[in-house]
Amino acid sequence: MPFHEKLAQHASVIAPAHPGCAQTDENKDIDIIEDVVFHYLEVLDALKLTQFDLVGSCVGGWIAAEIAARHPEKVRKLVLIGATGLFVEGALIGDVFMMAQPEYGSSYASLREMLFSSADQPNALEMFPDGKGRAGGRGAQISDVEIRLTHRLQTPYFYNRPLRNRLHRISCPSLVVWGAKDGFVPRSHGETYAKLIPGAEELKVIPGAGHSVHVEKPDEIAKLVLDFLGE
Amino acid sequence: MKPVQLFCWHFMAYPYLDKDFDEKQYSGWVTVPNGLWDNHKARGLYQEYIDQLAYADELGFDGMVLNEHHQNIYGLMPSPNLIASALTQRTARGKIIVLGNLLPLHLNPMRVAEEYAMLDQMSNGRLIAGFAPGGGPETFNYDVPSANTREKFWEAADLIVRSWTEDGPFAHEGRYFPLRYVNLWPKPLQQPFPPVWIPGSRSPSTMAEVAKRGYCYFLSSRSHGGETHRAQQEFAAVLEKHGDQYHPFRFGILMSTYVAETDQQARQECEEGVWYFLKNCLKGHLRREGRQLTYGPGVPYIPAAAWREYLKGYTPGRKLLGDVENWEELDASQSIIVGSPETVHRRIQNLIEKAKVGNLLIQFQLGNMPDHLARKSMKLFAEKVAPALRHDSLKQFTKEFPGINVVQAGRHSIERARSRNQRAQGLDSRNRHRCPAALSSWLRRRPLGERKLDAVS
Repeated sequence: MPFHEKLAQHASVIAPAHPGCAQTDENKDIDIIEDVVFHYLEVLDALKLTQFDLVGSCVGGWIAAEIAARHPEKVRKLVLIGATGLFVEGALIGDVFMMAQPEYGSSYASLREMLFSSADQPNALEMFPDGKGRAGGRGAQISDVEIRLTHRLQTPYFYNRPLRNRLHRISCPSLVVWGAKDGFVPRSHGETYAKLIPGAEELKVIPGAGHSVHVEKPDEIAKLVLDFLGE
Repeated sequence: MKPVQLFCWHFMAYPYLDKDFDEKQYSGWVTVPNGLWDNHKARGLYQEYIDQLAYADELGFDGMVLNEHHQNIYGLMPSPNLIASALTQRTARGKIIVLGNLLPLHLNPMRVAEEYAMLDQMSNGRLIAGFAPGGGPETFNYDVPSANTREKFWEAADLIVRSWTEDGPFAHEGRYFPLRYVNLWPKPLQQPFPPVWIPGSRSPSTMAEVAKRGYCYFLSSRSHGGETHRAQQEFAAVLEKHGDQYHPFRFGILMSTYVAETDQQARQECEEGVWYFLKNCLKGHLRREGRQLTYGPGVPYIPAAAWREYLKGYTPGRKLLGDVENWEELDASQSIIVGSPETVHRRIQNLIEKAKVGNLLIQFQLGNMPDHLARKSMKLFAEKVAPALRHDSLKQFTKEFPGINVVQAGRHSIERARSRNQRAQGLDSRNRHRCPAALSSWLRRRPLGERKLDAVS
């Protein structure tokens, strides 16, 4: 994706696909987020990475926060973009599964609206076109990231209650970024991350962008992330 | 050989919606506001529906069919076992088919094993036990996650049958339902266990799992064109692959019918109920209007690969059963067979001939159809259609399946299920450790009374 490419111009980027996504095999041992964390610890060990920066969006942000809370010594800097993972009372994460069911058998407009600033945002239309929808569209791989992995996980969907009380263990400088029009993960989740991670800066809200802020504004977000990761 | 088995299926729809429901409401499932429930009108509704089922038994139907749905207007039976329980006391003859309990929605499959065993005892051995994984809407209602629903479903189904057939207590070392003490009280009355039916919609993997275990496959499709015949052929091929043989009573289908004195009268009398059923009850389920929750990319139990495969032969936005615009279109779908006894007999006989199906599960009450019309149609069917269907089908089955003794074929299935259970548990008949080690040593200890005496002396 353009966002990854921008980052790669200035840094070495590893962007793994979750098990079961991007046409990889599903990992039948994955039941809870803990299993995903251990999957990635194995990946990081296999790559012989002992210290790294972690950038995660949506479910990726959740996984990043889980890893950083368990292994603060491994994470040099942390960036969370529209991250799921937290339980915030009165602020339910949206039902992306319901929205992924097409209306009138063919319209993915409400899915686009949930995940982007608007239903006719160009990136959204490219990823989730109407008709055969996500499975037929070019964005199939990305939509897999959003949905497939989470299908495997036990409910509640998209959060792990204990994570909130573990965030104080994250010791690195952290940046939390949110789209101003995020219709999937309420902004209060971003505020909670920013408040409870000791090294986090104030929540950075991007005007005009939805949940997939790094897809809608790759240049702006890449610059923001690179500036933060800095030297 | 026996003739076609004719069962009466009741879905128990909510019949009191206003005429503008379709216009005003987005769905009849999951999110349909329960503020629409009218206690004043609904008082006595269950009684009316149970009475209709008991009437089917009186009329000589081979049994009554119930199923499980949650939080919708299509079927008011979140617990079909409650209705089945009432029927054990209201009827004395016909089978009671629960098709089925939705296993992934139960905290523990033993609850289903126990309730089914109770129903089998209470009905004097009339239960046919259905296990189903639940459709899309139920996975939304109950937050059932998972790509692993199928795995979980079969573990549950196998545990239930094992608990019926194997003496307890034994330990079940399953991935999803580990249990130390499986020890069913009561046991089911039918030996070795009640017939098991599994619904499916032509998925080859479900057919294979059913074949492996020797169960009956039930096609849950509501429309019957060439696909019904194809499903039968597919299932027969799968059975053969598993060293088994197809016969008509390994297979069942769902259909709807309305019978009246003449074709014209039949259409006139049932039309309101039919349209209520199609436009209201199917909204959210078998209509493209709104959001169909039964099958699709967001339904938690649909694996990505299965959805991609499905899309290959699927036109997005195509019409589903509930989208039919006129009577002719509906008629062509063969979903609801309406007419005089002669017409209905001819069309159903045609279906049996082609699909070689031995179990017809027939819905008579549709949508908001009034009690007296549902009963009139059932009576005409029982008196004027059923005898001819039985006669013709017996002739056909005897001719087409000459070597098959239905009872023996059933027994064969049961033996297969049993040996499968044993294989699955890695046990053979000589070396069975039914109890966990800790339990068997505890059982070897002397009774409590004796130990008390020891302590005193």
